[in-house]
Amino acid sequence: MTPSYWQKIGVIALNTFRETVRDKLLYSLIAFAGLVIAASLLAGSVSLGQDVRVINDFGLTAMLVFLLIITLFVGTQLVFREIERKTIYLALTKPISRDQFYLGKYLGLCLTILVAAVMMAVLFLGVLYFKTKGVSVSAVWAIGFLVLEAWLLTAVGLLFSSFASPISSAVYTFCLALIGHSSTSIWTIAQKSPVALKGILEFVYYVFPNLEKFNLRNEVVFNFRPDAVQVIAVLGYFLGYTLVVLFLGGLIFRRDEF
Amino acid sequence: MLELKNLTKTFYQKVDKVVVNNLSLKVKKGEVFGFLGLNGAGKTTTVKMIVGLLFPDKGSITISKDDHLSLAAKQRIGYMPESPQFYQHLTVAEVLRFAGQLYDLELAQIDAKIPLLLQQVGLAGQENLLARQMSKGMHQRLAFAVALINDPELLILDEPLDGLDPLGRLDFKKLINSLKKQGKTVFFSTHILSDVEEICDQVAILDQGKIIRQGTPKELIGRGKKSLEEVFVEMVSEVKK
Repeated sequence: MTPSYWQKIGVIALNTFRETVRDKLLYSLIAFAGLVIAASLLAGSVSLGQDVRVINDFGLTAMLVFLLIITLFVGTQLVFREIERKTIYLALTKPISRDQFYLGKYLGLCLTILVAAVMMAVLFLGVLYFKTKGVSVSAVWAIGFLVLEAWLLTAVGLLFSSFASPISSAVYTFCLALIGHSSTSIWTIAQKSPVALKGILEFVYYVFPNLEKFNLRNEVVFNFRPDAVQVIAVLGYFLGYTLVVLFLGGLIFRRDEF
Repeated sequence: MLELKNLTKTFYQKVDKVVVNNLSLKVKKGEVFGFLGLNGAGKTTTVKMIVGLLFPDKGSITISKDDHLSLAAKQRIGYMPESPQFYQHLTVAEVLRFAGQLYDLELAQIDAKIPLLLQQVGLAGQENLLARQMSKGMHQRLAFAVALINDPELLILDEPLDGLDPLGRLDFKKLINSLKKQGKTVFFSTHILSDVEEICDQVAILDQGKIIRQGTPKELIGRGKKSLEEVFVEMVSEVKK
């Protein structure tokens, strides 16, 4: 792979990023997330001695929800919109492979999510600083893991959008996110189930992403910081799962006709 | 320069439809080749297969002996789609930079080309206009500029004169003629016969996915005093019988 191979992916990624950041929907979502995070200050003030915990829970959950909404509404629509508006012709008829285009789209979306997460994080950490007069390192870790989760779900959303309509893709991705956050429960139920059901539940557990691996929200209040082993394990899981999903999406996209 | 061999494409729907049927043709270097046919004859499907947006069921496409999907082949072509659309948030200059970078051109190189290209297609001074603020005719002009950004050896134009006002059509015909003088090969599909008569060296008439006649405009018209339009209507009617 020559530098030009990656440069072209970069061109697609930057264009995707530019396209999404010039979309009013993204700003509306970030502004709304900002309001919800700011409201955590109010929620914290009415709780008895639990204000920091409430702000953490409220803020991090708001970030998770809004990053998921961005993934669902922006990520799953992007390729479909390119096809519908025929703007995809502009790139695919040039000396660029379908894989480069697909990967560029994904990376552009990841950049958008990162910027949205940074904007929300600044506000959330600001609220936390206002309350505690300090920066919570464990909250920064939790946000980092949240971003990884959103990036993984973006790859899943892109995969769905390569063969389904935007609405179906958004519904599938949302369901997958719900299942992914119930992984621990699914495993527990599987161990107590009859053999046939156990097999199905274990299949679901292994095939669907275990999004609880990215969940540090409950630990933030205890000032928990992941050690190197946990960070490497989570990064490895994220990379492995995302690469497989991107590979599958790329395979489908290679044969798509426009 | 461009060779299509036994190209076949079927759209599998409730009733399968063979849109391009065992089509073969050759376009020589420096030739302006008109690909003529009624609506639904298979022109756009053929063009989309050449540029890699659709895949043929059978047959092959080569551009200077390279497979049409290879990066080397794509590097040599410039494509203008029918009813071109652009990213709404990009300006004219940004669209050209985006396209140029995908051909491995340096930004400085692209920026130096932009004023000249826009001059050629009649969009001089419109660098900062957003795509969403542009009319259909302006989209056509920008699409032509995009097709020229890499100084291609082969231009593939799908209905390039459609939607243009008379002045725009005249400008485009002059541009195609000047490209021909520069030794460029132009393959364009159209259903407007007067355009073909004026600018094409070779013409192929397509009907129901098959070439029913090919030759120079003069050969097709023959010695009679008929216009190409009359000849075209006769040929298509004969096939339909």
